[in-house]
Amino acid sequence: MRLFHNYHYAAAMLLFCLGLHTVIVRRNIIKKLIGLNIMETSVFFFYISLGYLDGGIAPIRVGGADPARMVNPIPQALILTGIVVAVSVTALALSMVILLYRQYGTLDVDRLMREEEPEAVESGKED
Amino acid sequence: MGAWRHFPIFMITVPLLGAVLLPFLGYAKERWVPYVALLPLGASTLLGILLIGRIPSGGYLSYHMGGWEPPFGIEIRLDYVGLFLMLVVCGITFLALIYSRRYIDKEVSPGRRTAYYVLYLLMSGAMLGFVATGDIFNLFVFMEILALSSYALVAITGNRNAVRAAFKYILMGAPSSIIVLLAIGLLYSVTGTLNMADLARRIAESGYTEVLIVSYILLVVGFGVKAALFPLHMWLPDAHSIAPSPISALLSGLLVEVCTFALVRITFSVFTLGATDLVMGTADAVGVAAAAAVLYGGIMAILQKDLKMMIAYSTVSHIGYIFLGLTAFTAEGLTGAMYHMLDHGLAKACLFLCAGNFIYMKGYRRIEDLKGAWSQMPWTCFAFALASISVIGIPPTAGFISKWYLILGNVEGGKWLYAVVLLAGSILAAVYCFRILYYMFFQAGKEGAWEESWHDAPPAMLAPVWVLSLATLFFGVFSSLLIPSLLRAAAYLL
Repeated sequence: MRLFHNYHYAAAMLLFCLGLHTVIVRRNIIKKLIGLNIMETSVFFFYISLGYLDGGIAPIRVGGADPARMVNPIPQALILTGIVVAVSVTALALSMVILLYRQYGTLDVDRLMREEEPEAVESGKED
Repeated sequence: MGAWRHFPIFMITVPLLGAVLLPFLGYAKERWVPYVALLPLGASTLLGILLIGRIPSGGYLSYHMGGWEPPFGIEIRLDYVGLFLMLVVCGITFLALIYSRRYIDKEVSPGRRTAYYVLYLLMSGAMLGFVATGDIFNLFVFMEILALSSYALVAITGNRNAVRAAFKYILMGAPSSIIVLLAIGLLYSVTGTLNMADLARRIAESGYTEVLIVSYILLVVGFGVKAALFPLHMWLPDAHSIAPSPISALLSGLLVEVCTFALVRITFSVFTLGATDLVMGTADAVGVAAAAAVLYGGIMAILQKDLKMMIAYSTVSHIGYIFLGLTAFTAEGLTGAMYHMLDHGLAKACLFLCAGNFIYMKGYRRIEDLKGAWSQMPWTCFAFALASISVIGIPPTAGFISKWYLILGNVEGGKWLYAVVLLAGSILAAVYCFRILYYMFFQAGKEGAWEESWHDAPPAMLAPVWVLSLATLFFGVFSSLLIPSLLRAAAYLL
C-alpha cells in the first residue's frame, strides 16, 4: 500500500486543494488570504515530509554519527526561505487590505471589483 | 582567470545592494535618490556590455557562489540568450529610471519616493538574477523578489484604483508562486537535486514519470500566470494600466518576457530528453491558448477607451505571439520568439512612456483626448508612431523581423493555422494602432485641448522615449547583428 505509506503526501495535497478552494470561492478577502496561507503551509509540509526520517537525527557529522539515519536538511533550508517569502507576501497583502477597507469600506471582493472606476480620472489630480 | 568571470554575479548583486543602501540616503537627502539610483543600474549595464564576446559560442559561462561546486552550490549560468536578455533588462530599466524622476515627482507623494526607487532597484536586480540563475530554487526566490516588488510598485501611488489593481495582481500572483514552489518540490522529490543541468541529466536518465508530468504542468500554469498567458491574464490589464507609467513599461516590456523566458529555460534545459512527449503534449495546449491570446488581446485592445488599457491588452496579444513562436519547436520559431521579446520590450516600454508623457503634460488618459496631440507634442507623437509601427510589424522596424521569423517558424513546423493567426493578430494591431495615429496627426482636437505651439515633455522624459523608439528601428535595420547568433543558440537549445 504505497498510498497508505505515503499518507503525508495525500494530506499535503488535500490541504493544498482546500487552500486553493478557499482562495477561489470565498468572497471575503481576509478569508482569501487565509486560504493562501493554507496553500503555502501545505507546500511547506510537503517539503518537510520529503526530508523526514522516522527516528532520524540532526545532520551533523560529529562523533561518528551514522549518515544513513540523518534527516535531509536541504528541504528544511529551502522552506526557511519559503516561510520568509510567505510572510512578506502576507504582510504586503494585509497592508493592502487595510488600504482597500479604508477607501472602499468593504472586504467583499465582488463589491470591490464591481465598483466602477470614475470616468477619465486625471491621474495628476488624484489623491 | 580574469576579473570578468565575476561580472555575472556583480550584475545581479549591485542593484540589489543599491536597493539595500538607498533608504539611508533617502533618509538624509531624498532629492539625490533619483540620481544615485542610476549608478547601480549603470554599473550593471556596463558589466553586461563588457561580457559581450566572452561567452563561448554554443556554450555558457558558469559561476558558482561561495566556492561550492555546482550540483551543491548555487550556480549562475549565462548563455548567449541569457546575456542578451540581461542586456535588454539593463537597458530598459536604465532608461525607464531616467524617465522616472520627473514623472514620480508628480505622481508619488514625497515620503514615498525613496520607496519607489528602492523597489525599482530590487525589481531590476531580481529580473537579472531570474534570467541568469542556474538553480531552480534560486529561480523561485528571484521570482518572489520580482513579484513582491512589482505588487508594491503597482500600488505605489496609494490611490484606490491602484491598490485595487495591485490586490488583484496579488490574488493571481501569489497562488501561482505557490504552485511553482510545489512543482519545484515535486521535481526535487523524484530527482534529489535543484541544479538545472543536474536535473536535466537525471531526468534524461530516469525517463519521465507521472510526478514529472504533474510538475511540468504545474510549472507551465505557475509561470503562465506570471507571464499572463491568455486564460490566466486577468490581472494584467488593470495592473499594467494603473501603475505609474515607468512601471507599466517595466511590467509590460520586461516582466512578462522574463517570466516567459524562465519557462523556456525550464522547458529546454531541464525537461530535455526523455520528456519530449510530455513537452510536446503540453505545447499543443499552450499553442491553442496562445493563439486565443493573440486574437482576444487584439480585439479587446480595439475596444478600449483608455490609452494605457489598450496598450496593456496589446501586451496580452503579444505574449501570445511569443508563446506561438516557442510552441513551433523550430529554430526559426524560437529565434522569432527571442527577437520578439526584445522588440516587444522596446516598443511596449516606449508606448507606455509616451502614454506617460501625455499623462504628465496634460493628464489625458483617454484615446479620444489624443485628437490633435501633434500640434503640441510632436516629439512624443513621432516616437509613439515609430513604436506602433514596430508593434504592428511593418518594415523596417524590429517588429517586422520577429514576426517574419515567428511566421516562418510556424510554417516550417507545419502549423499553418497559427501562421494565419499571427497575420490576423497583425491586422488587429494595425487597427488599434492606426486609429490612435489617425487621431494624433489628422484630427483636430477640442477647442483648448492642446496648445498651438510646440510644448513637449521635458528632455529627461523625451530622451528615453526616443532612444527606445530608435532602438526598434535600429534592431529592424541591423537585425543581422543578432539573428545569426540567435539562430545558432536556438538550434543549440533544440
